[in-house]
Amino acid sequence: MSDSDSEVMAEADGFVSALNMPDVPSAKLPPHLELRKTRVLCNVDAPHNTDTVQYSGAYASIGVDNSLRFDDFCNNFRVEVTRLSHEDMEFDMVGIDPSIANAFRRILLAELPTMAIEKVLIANNTSVVQDEVLAHRLGLIPIKVDPRLFDYLSENDTPNEKNTIVFKLHVRCEEKGQRLTVTSNELTWLPKGSEFLKTSESLTSTSKAETYTSFTCSQDSLPEFGGNPISVYPDITIDKLGFGQEIELEAHAVKGVGKTHAKWSPVATCWYRMLPEVVLTEEIEGKKAEVLKQKCPANVFEIEDLADGRKRATVARPRACTLCRECIKDGEDWEKRVSLRRVKDHFMFTIESTGALPPEVLFTEAVKVLEDKCELVISDLS
Amino acid sequence: MEHASFGDQRNATFSLAEEDHTLANALRFTLNQDPRVIFCGYSIPHPSEARVNIRVQTTGEPAREVLKDSCQDLMLMCQHIRGTFDKAVNDFRTTNPPDNHPSQDMDSD
Amino acid sequence: MDPQPEPVSYICGDCGMENTLKPGDVIQCRECGYRILYKKRTRRIIQYEAR
Repeated sequence: MSDSDSEVMAEADGFVSALNMPDVPSAKLPPHLELRKTRVLCNVDAPHNTDTVQYSGAYASIGVDNSLRFDDFCNNFRVEVTRLSHEDMEFDMVGIDPSIANAFRRILLAELPTMAIEKVLIANNTSVVQDEVLAHRLGLIPIKVDPRLFDYLSENDTPNEKNTIVFKLHVRCEEKGQRLTVTSNELTWLPKGSEFLKTSESLTSTSKAETYTSFTCSQDSLPEFGGNPISVYPDITIDKLGFGQEIELEAHAVKGVGKTHAKWSPVATCWYRMLPEVVLTEEIEGKKAEVLKQKCPANVFEIEDLADGRKRATVARPRACTLCRECIKDGEDWEKRVSLRRVKDHFMFTIESTGALPPEVLFTEAVKVLEDKCELVISDLS
Repeated sequence: MEHASFGDQRNATFSLAEEDHTLANALRFTLNQDPRVIFCGYSIPHPSEARVNIRVQTTGEPAREVLKDSCQDLMLMCQHIRGTFDKAVNDFRTTNPPDNHPSQDMDSD
Repeated sequence: MDPQPEPVSYICGDCGMENTLKPGDVIQCRECGYRILYKKRTRRIIQYEAR
């Protein structure tokens, strides 16, 4: 059949190679399949084509190889930083499958370690906040210290200078008729460890008074903390004290991960969204252009003056699109004019650090965690 | 981490302890991208048990080797991602030098 | 029996003044005369999990 077809075409417009015939497999997907593969269509009813085509043989019947070539991945993968400060960053990650982008997000939230207050030894608390609540509040305070300098404290380990950070909080409201706000600034680091003495049953037998930690040296004698004392995130209200009320406690911070408890999560939040793509499928001019610009609460559209005095709508800020779909809500004709899409392999990634590590370090650490997981599987299978 | 197969190297289920969607879904992707894989999928048998089962069926190669290769692929991708990311951060720093305000420790947002 | 009952500290419910009472004492703040007193917390260390 194809033979006779090509003969017919060859007769019609001179020579046509058989390889250029429409039914001969090419390495590229036809446009409608390419659109389904690479874009989510955000229609009025629901998003369509939300899945990713992962199977290598998905397009085998039309001769397109869908397998991953590492070289292709390297050539296509891009990262572009759009915002970077000491506590948050935003970057675009292009050419990656959502399963891997999501792995990084999940690791950032739940598997990167930080230090957080875990044990609270309360000697006195006459404030209106109960001990349990106070302890919980202390646990959530971010500690500005690199967790990589510490070890995990196992169940039968003794707390020492390599796995525990001790803070003291001793405040009392001395002024009559005043309220004292206790903030995280009042937490003072005890580099020598706990100062509370253990009241052992046999007080006389132990010659040396035991504290709740057994530090072999002061933490500020260690080179990493010498000139830079460990502090906590400042200005967080812990409690309010009335006249005569007092808090005296020690807080012991240990290393942990976010999946144990959210207080160990190194990020406030971490999320990604796919790049919005707004396509005007037909020219939108005059009054309609004005209406379209008005419809969008995110101010995505702009009006362009054409040479002959006409006005035409353009997509000026597609990144601002929140996919609220306001622009395609009023009737079917609007849905036909505007196509809202998302690019499946383009992620706008945002990381908000809690302060322990800068966001760019967090991301690199997250990638390393995934690498370690792979290595572990390989070594277990070998 | 067990390896359950019945005299047939091509089809196997791997049970990974202390892992979840984070690794399993990423591995499912790299496995699916391997032309030697006929089928792969994963499940978490019970939500309160930290364990995933990854099923791999191949065209002939032992499933264990294919899974190892997939892990290797994922690792290579990670290394490339890390390199690209570090470069992007450095590029950003050179084009947008920080406005040297070390005293501005806190962002007010 | 204990040799002598130890004086116990109380906090005035109104002015916050610390009062030490022995058995038989009138339950009243020495500072302001308020009659509701709260027992002062002992300094025994209690350990909590910050979760």
